[in-house]
Amino acid sequence: MVIRRLVGRWQGVVLSLIGLIATIWLGLTGQLALYIHPRYFVFTVIMAVIAGVLALAAFALAPTAKDEHGHNDGDGHEHDGDAHARNDGHGSRWGWLWPLGSVLTIVAAVVALLILPPSTLTTATVAQRDLNGSASALTLKAPALPGKGDYSAFTVRDWASLLRSGAGQDFFADKTATVTGFISADKTDPNVFFVTRFVVTCCAVDAQPIGVPVYHPGWQNEFKTDSWVTLTSSFRANPNPASREAIVLIPHTINPTAQPAQPYVY
Amino acid sequence: MTLPAVDKRKQPEHGHRSPARAFTSKSAAGLAIGLAIVALFAVVRVLAPSTPETLGLPNAARDFATLSISVVVESLPFVFLGIVLSIAVQVWLPEGMLLRRLPRSPVLRRLVLSLLGMLLPVCECGNVPLARGLVVKGLTVAESMTFLFAAPILNPVTIVTTAQAFGWNNGILVSRVLGGFFIANLVGWIYSRHPRPGELLTARFQETCNVADHDGGAAGKVRRSVQMFSQETRAMMPALFIGAGMAGLIQVAVSREVLVALGSNPVWSVLALMLLAFVVAICSNVDAFFILSFGATFMPGGIVAFLVFGPMIDVKMLALMRTTFTAKTLLQLSLLVALCAAVLGLAVNYGH
Repeated sequence: MVIRRLVGRWQGVVLSLIGLIATIWLGLTGQLALYIHPRYFVFTVIMAVIAGVLALAAFALAPTAKDEHGHNDGDGHEHDGDAHARNDGHGSRWGWLWPLGSVLTIVAAVVALLILPPSTLTTATVAQRDLNGSASALTLKAPALPGKGDYSAFTVRDWASLLRSGAGQDFFADKTATVTGFISADKTDPNVFFVTRFVVTCCAVDAQPIGVPVYHPGWQNEFKTDSWVTLTSSFRANPNPASREAIVLIPHTINPTAQPAQPYVY
Repeated sequence: MTLPAVDKRKQPEHGHRSPARAFTSKSAAGLAIGLAIVALFAVVRVLAPSTPETLGLPNAARDFATLSISVVVESLPFVFLGIVLSIAVQVWLPEGMLLRRLPRSPVLRRLVLSLLGMLLPVCECGNVPLARGLVVKGLTVAESMTFLFAAPILNPVTIVTTAQAFGWNNGILVSRVLGGFFIANLVGWIYSRHPRPGELLTARFQETCNVADHDGGAAGKVRRSVQMFSQETRAMMPALFIGAGMAGLIQVAVSREVLVALGSNPVWSVLALMLLAFVVAICSNVDAFFILSFGATFMPGGIVAFLVFGPMIDVKMLALMRTTFTAKTLLQLSLLVALCAAVLGLAVNYGH
């Protein structure tokens, strides 16, 4: 009964604290970008701070036992435990399920938000979401072609857009790309992997995988999927004409690299 | 901080101990407990392992966690904003300021309420606590539904992002705004005919509505604001966390290729995109950009159905609305809105 009342009253505030401490910590350590688009950073942190003040005030101004007695029909939420006891079969048989569920929610929130290390999405989601499948994650921001042929600032997204736009082999003949991304396998051609990034419009939930194909037979022996690499190479026709990717990068060297601070592209 | 006058009146049995002093020391103790919990959580977060590789979780489990966490981190500030607005409406706004100015005629009232979102550019998860606050203040259940369903679509941010994403192409923007407006008012009209609207609400929320709140004075208001914060977070937070977990789980489990494959058929594109909207539970402010990234594969009617259905009904919204409406009501609402959105989408597909 005591546990039920404690959980009943403080569940919301404690869950809020878990969420906002995780948010502020992610903000301070520069990892919010793993979950949401940078345009929300300021708003998210400000609301977390405001909610933090309110949550602490809720602890400071908690109604006392006497208060509860005083406005017994004034404070609707004091009845909650009882209301649920009534709803869930007169409190005896299944009444314990409610606080148990609440405690489990809190435990799950602590594990997910406070204990698990923050992480980007992985190749599991690439497989789930059809690489380069969403047309206009690519064409939406078709890159402006630089006048002097300086393509060094082009990202995975820019190159993937150009490849997708159907520019022919002539166009790519003299271009050199430097791209950074993580490795995901080509589902159809074992000699090809993709240098992959996720495009995020709002938060990680809507992430769309995009990638540039790289022809490198035996890459499986050198690299694991999900590991981050940087490579520089010119574009060539795919030596395997049956492959779905007609134009590929064929690099001499592939350098392993650390995951960048902003793993997603926008 | 002084004790609110009202409390003194209500508890004469405090007796010889000075109530004011008891109150101050108690709130200091409460604050200390709160700070201790904050410190504990912060220490856990800082000491926890910082590289994902250390735990050796399979990729699918990692992505499930990442997706669920991203729903929480994305929605949390909007839910807090909604709660703050709800507190403002319930406690700080002069009595009747908002509701008394509404027109008398029920139809006109709902029309005006569906435009309220123009003033409150909150995304749909923030609207739930606000709608609860408005019901406590005397809005009818049917009117709250109209507000809840119209506000995320008839909302300046949503309209601007939809216009940026689609412009005037295929009437997507117009269909979304007018369709959302129409469906919200239709739902409101249907439920305004309900003989006992109280039964649409959960027993728990009905009790909240029956609370008589007459504390006067600024100190009393601060106190009530804070209590309302813990009350609303208790209703919203478990729903948000559970909804986020479900959204993450479905994303990992349901392959998106299947949905996308259905996109070019006039009927299936509508149904598939409504299912997608239900599953991804994305904010109405940005869903236009999201669906634009699928744009080429889908027919415009499917996109309209996505943009109309998603802000009203999705996994996360159902969990949040369950705090207020009964399961039966939500089922009816979901079917009704789904039917309307499907009709709208099909009309767009076959109409042009």
